[in-house]
Amino acid sequence: MININSVLGNIFKETSLRNENFEEIKISRVDLEKRILRKKTDSGIDIGINLDSGVKLQHGDVIGNDEVKIVIKQMPEQVISVKLKENDQNIAILLGHIIGNRHRPIELKEKSIVFPIQEDSELEIFQRLFKEIIDHIELKIEKAIFLPHTSADVHEH
Amino acid sequence: MTHIPRIGIGGPVGSGKSMLIERLVPVLAEIGYSISIISNDVISKEDADRIRNNLSTKKGLLPENMVIGLATGGCPHTAVREDPSMNLAIIEEMEDNHPELDLIIIESGGDNITTTFSPILADYFIYIIDVAGGDKYPRKGGLGITNCDLLVINKIDLAELVGANLEIMRTDAEKLRKEKPFEFINCKTDQGIKKIAEHIIHDLLLDSQPKSIHLEKNKI
Repeated sequence: MININSVLGNIFKETSLRNENFEEIKISRVDLEKRILRKKTDSGIDIGINLDSGVKLQHGDVIGNDEVKIVIKQMPEQVISVKLKENDQNIAILLGHIIGNRHRPIELKEKSIVFPIQEDSELEIFQRLFKEIIDHIELKIEKAIFLPHTSADVHEH
Repeated sequence: MTHIPRIGIGGPVGSGKSMLIERLVPVLAEIGYSISIISNDVISKEDADRIRNNLSTKKGLLPENMVIGLATGGCPHTAVREDPSMNLAIIEEMEDNHPELDLIIIESGGDNITTTFSPILADYFIYIIDVAGGDKYPRKGGLGITNCDLLVINKIDLAELVGANLEIMRTDAEKLRKEKPFEFINCKTDQGIKKIAEHIIHDLLLDSQPKSIHLEKNKI
């Protein structure tokens, strides 16, 4: 097992780190939240991750040692994407209130708000919850790499 | 400050959370792992008292002050997910005063299938259900069942009595959890308990030796 305690950098922030020969580990968003994680790379190398305090894995992070480098690839997941049809502040507030009430993390994209779901059937649930604003929004299910807005992080008191 | 690996155990009322702890700790303690337990409950501290009595007072596997009861007041999941501050305060104290610990087990109060642990609180999440709830349980999903690191299905000895088909539960759990593990156990007879310990040692403790053994070796 290769022990990992820290992150070397991120391929999206430091292009010099990009290398086709790097190993890959696919990790779900939920598992990326973890501090301790045991995973295998695509080619089967056993990795034991036990991160130092304050370090959190992200999509594109590079980990490893002198012998092997590994890129973290976050797995895509089912999300609902909601787009406002017009720029209406009240509708936007209500939308945020309803999603927040369901304790969903959110990602803000250019003109839409995105949040994860577990089943396609949740679209129907949210259509019902959004009934008062349904004529002002467009909803669709997508499969995407969900990068939660950090304001949704649970903080230590 | 030392970070001591932490397991969160969640599951419905009566599924066997406390019992799993009572059966699991002797297996881990025998290997040499030093363990502390925080048992959350809504109002009472009955589970903590029982665990302390069975594991500390009777068996002497850990000091009595290493089993802590926490009455959380509100919904059980809030104390382990939305606002884990009460549990974190205890853990912080543990990490300061007992760096020799290998593992902290946090038991949630009995809750519903959407229970999860905040990753700030628990490094590894076990969700436990029992067959008496019917063989539909894994199929119905819910965050706890789908997202936990290890799904434990307890009381398999009752399957026949309640007409639950374990094969259905196995197929549904495989389908829902994909490559994530699940285990069938019977806490009353210890069936499957060693497997749970193996998962914890492999996935959470990363096969590290108990600190007491490691320190002893270094002395020599």
